[in-house]
Amino acid sequence: MEREPMIKRKTAISYKTEEKTVLRGYNLSDLAEEGYTFCDALFVLFQGRIPSQAEEKMLEYEMGEFLEHSMSPSAASAIATMGGRPQLPAAVAAGVMTFGGAHGPGAAHGYMLNKYLERARVEGKSVKEMGKILVDEYMDAGMPVMGLGQPQHVDGDPRAMPTHRKQEELGVDGVYLELQKAVEEAFNKRREAEGKKTIAVNMIGAGNTALAELGFSPNAAWGIGILCRGFSCACHAIENMKKGHAWMASTREKMIQMLDLSMIVYDGIPDRPVPSQEEREEYAQRELEKGEYKKWVL
Amino acid sequence: MGTVKDREPFRWHSTIAYKTVPKIVTRGFDTTQLVEKGYGFADVIFINYQARIPLVREMKMLHYLMILCLEDGMSTAAGISRFAAKGHNILTQSAGASILAFGHAYGAYQAYGRMLDRYLEQAEKEGKSLQEMAEILVRENQGSLSLGVSNLMLKDPAAKRIFARADSLDLSGRYIGFQREIVKAIQKASKEPVDLDMLGAVGATMFDLGFTPEATWSIVALARAFGATAHAMEEEEREPRVVFGQNLQPKEYYDGPTDRPVPPLKDRDRIVKPGQTKTLEEWRKAFDERAKLGGSGWAIVEEIADPRKLVKVKGK
Repeated sequence: MEREPMIKRKTAISYKTEEKTVLRGYNLSDLAEEGYTFCDALFVLFQGRIPSQAEEKMLEYEMGEFLEHSMSPSAASAIATMGGRPQLPAAVAAGVMTFGGAHGPGAAHGYMLNKYLERARVEGKSVKEMGKILVDEYMDAGMPVMGLGQPQHVDGDPRAMPTHRKQEELGVDGVYLELQKAVEEAFNKRREAEGKKTIAVNMIGAGNTALAELGFSPNAAWGIGILCRGFSCACHAIENMKKGHAWMASTREKMIQMLDLSMIVYDGIPDRPVPSQEEREEYAQRELEKGEYKKWVL
Repeated sequence: MGTVKDREPFRWHSTIAYKTVPKIVTRGFDTTQLVEKGYGFADVIFINYQARIPLVREMKMLHYLMILCLEDGMSTAAGISRFAAKGHNILTQSAGASILAFGHAYGAYQAYGRMLDRYLEQAEKEGKSLQEMAEILVRENQGSLSLGVSNLMLKDPAAKRIFARADSLDLSGRYIGFQREIVKAIQKASKEPVDLDMLGAVGATMFDLGFTPEATWSIVALARAFGATAHAMEEEEREPRVVFGQNLQPKEYYDGPTDRPVPPLKDRDRIVKPGQTKTLEEWRKAFDERAKLGGSGWAIVEEIADPRKLVKVKGK
């Protein structure tokens, strides 16, 4: 079997010979033999270091907690993708790739924390002061403050506060948690002053803060979050593959299926006749001139 | 059924999980309670996929396996992830792309697992020993890349250490036993040195831990995706980005049709030869001719299920 490298790159992550695979200097097989966990190995992968026991425990906690979230955009994507019966990895990838600016914007939250921590340092402000500045700047600009609120857990994400507490309990709290808590406090003080209901921290605010505190970069933290969730997305996709119906549109089911024709509500342009080719040019010109089509352009 | 008014409205039915405003529950367990009580990532994977809390040694074995799946140098998964990152996308795309590398050759855990299940079932039905069935499997699947045996791990002990670890944790079951027989059968039949590889070692051990071929496929692909994500980030950090239309393809690396003039549009019906064939001989000839053109897809022949070999369903 040909074993030449597929692409030639300098890398600081790993090398592989016929004898061993080495990650950041450690023989991967030796790491496993020694009894390190997968979470330990993620520290080695993304940070080149073996974590303390408390750090490893914090990551175990967070990944265990974040793995399953029932019906979220990611699980729904994985299930819907499996409805077409592609190979399973397509559904798993679809679940993972659902994460973006609204569903679990982990990297962006991390970059926000880093930016304001640096500003606190340079501008000689306390972390608490900078938390208020962050909130004011975002709210004054009409931008949502990342890490707060969850559309389903309207009384507060049940995972979030315990994650903050676990960080403190394990002694893995630092400037990130301090800033995040300052943000939560300033945000809700301002909402209260505006006569609005308070909004609790979500899992980006809590989980991502913990990951940053553990030394993961914004993108590494995001990668950990989305891939951790990928495990349950895969499980949901497999359930559909083994126990559900392809297409999800059968009218023989007792329950109306997700893609049943009755689920489609159309409120676009009313039905209209297709112009003949002879009429086409004049028809098209008229549409251009009237310009009504523009309101439907996506 | 049929009409909408007679039927229940659509709901997301799941045996895996539900959530309410104050909690998230998987297989009956509140996920926050799980982690508060000290259960970790690998435990929750067992709960999610198998609806059970694993023994501590099972949990340890899963960690062990996932560490070995985490990174593999410039593998296909890392390569795809890096290529995707070159477009300056967001990380989720590179992570997802790496998972798409998994198929029925690279990380063929579904194909491999289903094959083992098929032959183990046959062994049981026919009262054959694992050794006898391994010999049949090897005879019937010559040339397959998905037998868990190859020349890839002749000098690297990692695969064999997996089975040794499973033995020491008293987790080796019929899958590991069967795979060991497959190794012996292939070694007996092969002129070249071969041994247990990572597909066989990780796969058989995962199956003995109770994971299905599909669950194994997903778990391994996701474990590898963490490593691929690091590669995507390094690509961004160390390598230049690539824009649409940037890369050239030198002519010396081209072996398609030679350069030719584009016929005038008005002449096309006179010049072109339609693709339809009217006889089976013409069809075969066209098929073979088309297969010579790389990228046409005609040279790829996928095996599909033969309905003659499937068990007939009564009444259908």
